Amino acid sequence: MTNRLFFRELFSKGLARTLTGQALAFAIALALGAVIILMIDESPVAVFLTLMRGAFGDTEKIAGTLLQTTPILICGIAACIALRGGMFNVGIEGQLFLGGFAAAWVGFAFSLPPVLHVLAAMTLAVIAGALWIAIPAFFRVRFGTNEVVSTILANYIATLLTSYFTIFLFKRPGGWSETPPILTSAYLPELFSFSRLNIGLLIGLALAVGVTAFFRWTSAGYAATMVGSAPKFAEYGGVNVRRVGFGVLLVSGAVGGLAGGVETLGVHHRFMEGFAPGFGFDGLIAALLANGSPIGTIFTALFFGALRAGSLLLEVDTTASREIITVIQALIILAVSADLMMPRRGDRTGERRWKF
Amino acid sequence: MEILSNLFNVALLVAMIRTTTPILLVALGGSFTTKAGIFNIGLEGQMLIAAFFAVVGSIWTGSSLGGMVIGVAAALLFALIYAILVVSFRANEVVVGLALNILAGGMTVSLLKAIFGTRGSVVGRGIVGLPKIQIPGARDLLGPSTAQLISGYTPLVYVAFFAVPLLILFYNRTRLGLYIRVVGEKPEAAEALGISIVRIRYAASLLCGLFAGLAGAHMSLGYITMFTENMSSGRGFMAVAILIFSGGDPLKVLAGCLLFGFADAFSLRLQTFGFPSYLVLAVPYAVALVALFVLSWRARPKRIRETVDTIRRALSVHPSGEADRNAPLPRS
Repeated sequence: MTNRLFFRELFSKGLARTLTGQALAFAIALALGAVIILMIDESPVAVFLTLMRGAFGDTEKIAGTLLQTTPILICGIAACIALRGGMFNVGIEGQLFLGGFAAAWVGFAFSLPPVLHVLAAMTLAVIAGALWIAIPAFFRVRFGTNEVVSTILANYIATLLTSYFTIFLFKRPGGWSETPPILTSAYLPELFSFSRLNIGLLIGLALAVGVTAFFRWTSAGYAATMVGSAPKFAEYGGVNVRRVGFGVLLVSGAVGGLAGGVETLGVHHRFMEGFAPGFGFDGLIAALLANGSPIGTIFTALFFGALRAGSLLLEVDTTASREIITVIQALIILAVSADLMMPRRGDRTGERRWKF
Repeated sequence: MEILSNLFNVALLVAMIRTTTPILLVALGGSFTTKAGIFNIGLEGQMLIAAFFAVVGSIWTGSSLGGMVIGVAAALLFALIYAILVVSFRANEVVVGLALNILAGGMTVSLLKAIFGTRGSVVGRGIVGLPKIQIPGARDLLGPSTAQLISGYTPLVYVAFFAVPLLILFYNRTRLGLYIRVVGEKPEAAEALGISIVRIRYAASLLCGLFAGLAGAHMSLGYITMFTENMSSGRGFMAVAILIFSGGDPLKVLAGCLLFGFADAFSLRLQTFGFPSYLVLAVPYAVALVALFVLSWRARPKRIRETVDTIRRALSVHPSGEADRNAPLPRS
């Protein structure tokens, strides 16, 4: 899907059509979402207004929205990188958990000078994320083992493994299932006094710009894009398809780990079981919704962040469950994936990418 | 020695047959789509939604059969949406599958709260579980301990295991089965024969939904009669892993599922011996991953190999030699 869309945008008589298509898809998804909200005996309008109020009601709420946006954005960029290389990294959730734990461990187990401490913790988070995807990535490029399934399965192991570390090895005495708090020298600086919003958001924005620039203006970025969209062409042009594919997945995993580090050092200041539920998946669908464009992901991540922040109020003010936003997100992805404005091709066998 | 005999006994085999059942059902369902050339990552969601609606249906109708039917209907609906998007709208199958999984997760939790007013799980409340079938005479013939190997399971256990030979017959002896295989292996040939690829892929997708629905119903109405959030816990993904290295062949699917059933039952057993539960729970996923890595390179698609060969021939890089044919990819 993604690549088809890239190309249409490139040879663009299609950009306008893409945008109309996306808008139509959104409308359909929201209509379906309204039907489901009616099914659970709530008023769609009330739910929508509550979501908006929860997301943008006052400055604190807006900061809360941005706080939720941060991990989704960074995870989304991780997904974008893999998508550009023609692969799905569905394991961002796992990389996020391991990265988060690694950063927290550096945070509470060592004492270092302030800036260095953050850098060390972040570095280990990045390494943990990259290492966690290294084995699936190796088998993907060497033997063509489907990376979607291997990274999903790795998620479950990562979650259980970090829970094991937290509860059996590093549990805070007398606490719940969480590690000791990290030292203040490892805290990410906060942006405002009234919110836990931190420079993680700026890291995410910088990454989005950096990754876009990398893919647009460097030859390595061009090689990676070609490996994703036209591997045979890339190979013919002398690109080492395997090495580039491996590198792309590794970097994607590293960014996933970074997202975990930002979350523990910036928000929770410790690692706890289930500290970041679903951020990895939200990031992936934000990236899909943005057609794999990191800049577009900023906006889709903001949208999902707003939904998440709004859903907190939803749980308080209405009887609806906050998971209703997951339903809306999934419906949007389904509607967008149908790509309604795309003229159907005549041949029915068609080419399908991402086959195993 | 005593620990070993406690670990490995008839009860472990029985537990293994029980834990194998849902994953076998869902993997057999996935074999239809795999054979039809569709990569169905949405099995997990179909199973989960079926598990939820099986519970709801069993409370509404007051019977386990009613629950099963409603659960299967929900899975069929998901399978239909999947087919419409993937087959008719030609959407990316991974994206649609993942989105449907997320949809199933969100919907079950939302509906759980809307219908039962709780979070997390629903137990009791008049859920009717599937009956256990005692095979008459098994006890007298085999004695009490061996008899439990073949008797006393829910009907779906028998359905799952008997479906394996039936599916072999289906793929080799029935028209639909052959068509599904042709559509998956050589779509061009199917088209030349006048087989409607769209219709066959719809049929395969719905058959898949049927089996995934049964798997879900067995999860929530089988040996435990309850629904919990995300209770499918990755079994659908394990089934996809099995499908990748088995290529959807029923016998290989059975072998893979027995391996996971064993890993599952064994990990539950280890837990009772005081191993840290988090590590033990990760065992089935680790087994799935290792099996995927070890076995998948052998089951790689013929198509890539063929394409590689044609490219070589076209570029006349290698004059076609048998030895090269087995090489995974042209080295760069």
